[in-house]
Amino acid sequence: MRGLAGAGVYFRTMAVFAVVWWLLSMWKSNTALLPSPVAVVGAIWELAVDLELFKHAAISLARMIGSLALAIALAVPLGILMGLSRIADDLVDPLVEILRPISGIAWIPLALFMFGIGNALPVFIMTYAAFFPIVLGTISGVRGVDRRLVDAARTMGVPSRTIVTTVIMPAAAPALLVAIRLGVASAWTAVVAAELIGAPSGLGYAIEWYRELLMTPQVMAFIAMIGVLGFLFDASLRWLSRRLTPWAPQAVSR
Amino acid sequence: MSAAAPGRMLRSVAVPLLLIAIWYAWTTAHPTVRTPTPPKVVNAAIEMIASGDLPYGVLQSLGRVFGGFAVAALIGVPLGLAMGTVRAVERNVDPLVESFRPIAAIAILPLAILWLGTGTSAAVMIVAYAAFFPIVVNTVAGVKRVDATLLRAAATMGIDRLTVMRTVIVPGALPSIGVGLRIALGVAWTAIIAAELAVGAKAGGGGSGGVGQMMFVFYAYSIELNRIVVCMIAVGVVAFLLDRVLRVVLRRLMPWTH
Repeated sequence: MRGLAGAGVYFRTMAVFAVVWWLLSMWKSNTALLPSPVAVVGAIWELAVDLELFKHAAISLARMIGSLALAIALAVPLGILMGLSRIADDLVDPLVEILRPISGIAWIPLALFMFGIGNALPVFIMTYAAFFPIVLGTISGVRGVDRRLVDAARTMGVPSRTIVTTVIMPAAAPALLVAIRLGVASAWTAVVAAELIGAPSGLGYAIEWYRELLMTPQVMAFIAMIGVLGFLFDASLRWLSRRLTPWAPQAVSR
Repeated sequence: MSAAAPGRMLRSVAVPLLLIAIWYAWTTAHPTVRTPTPPKVVNAAIEMIASGDLPYGVLQSLGRVFGGFAVAALIGVPLGLAMGTVRAVERNVDPLVESFRPIAAIAILPLAILWLGTGTSAAVMIVAYAAFFPIVVNTVAGVKRVDATLLRAAATMGIDRLTVMRTVIVPGALPSIGVGLRIALGVAWTAIIAAELAVGAKAGGGGSGGVGQMMFVFYAYSIELNRIVVCMIAVGVVAFLLDRVLRVVLRRLMPWTH
């Protein structure tokens, strides 16, 4: 009921937007500068039939998933350790706070020297970008775990390792999933910049390629693809967190 | 903080110092012409600050950030207030916001270059776009969090909408708006570096300036890794200071939130 009405309003708004855009493009009448929505839809269709749209999207997605896995593998154990141990936190936190303000994108020129142009560069930049939100979210998730649960488990003689897997991890899971969503958003922003400058393939590369050819409808098609994939990624993570942690409040900050 | 302070201080500098020591040892063991080493980076930093290049580049980037940020705030806050208070506005505008929010600011950079060229206005547009979404989203959330009892009290007393907006809604939503502004400023600083880098990369170092552009020139033309590292440190320091300064300003403006 709400979904249908919502979809109606959504399409109405987007239709108004498309009409305004179409009128503007008629007035400008310069396809390279401002193509009409029809031309963009045509470009999307052609690129989709060509499979070119999906080819670049698949490359960017594969890099995204690889970097996300890498960032989770590095950041979650570190975050748990920092959340549990005062000493680990004292040791590592300064480094995190020194590096965090240096955005992943600022690493691109140096990383170009380290890795050259190819897959390694975007993966490095995205892993770096996703790392900090995940590590910080994990720490605060672990710290937010009810002390009494941990104490109760300890009283019953549960070994520390089991406490981590059966008490702390489940209790910290909702915060962890929010952190992963933030990490994904930050990595997805970085992928475009990294591919725009230092990769021979992927969505960012395709956008730049068609910009140089002044084929603006194609540029817009790929921009739309970035938006759609970013939205789908976030939606599937939200769905996953509803399935995995149904007890968590869903109106989380975004 | 007091009793354990020396031990904690020591621990907090241990890892960064250790890493710098490893970096130094490794680069002295395997010396190459271009590999950045700690002393070379310090020298490069001194040169770049003394010559005024680095401060000038940072100021150029900061100017663009503040320009774009101001545009985003001037559009985002009123729009967010309207969306938060008038249901019809929210229903009709939200689809647009939600459709464009997943599109990263850097992705529209090629369009910005196409429309506005490779100068400051394209960079400002990217910053404004990047900063707009956190501001709108947090303003709407802030308005929704305003205590309904206060609104009803104001309505009972027959206060007109504009006065309610000024005296109840805006003060109530301010903490959340502040959070949005802080997030937006951080995002804006990231976006300007990306925009300047990409403009440099794609426009062939077209002399539009800024820290990002400097980094690209050091990468592509003069190949000075030490200077790239200096720029990266500068980017980090500025990001850190921007956040701190805005935090202090917000605390001064609304002491009741802390």
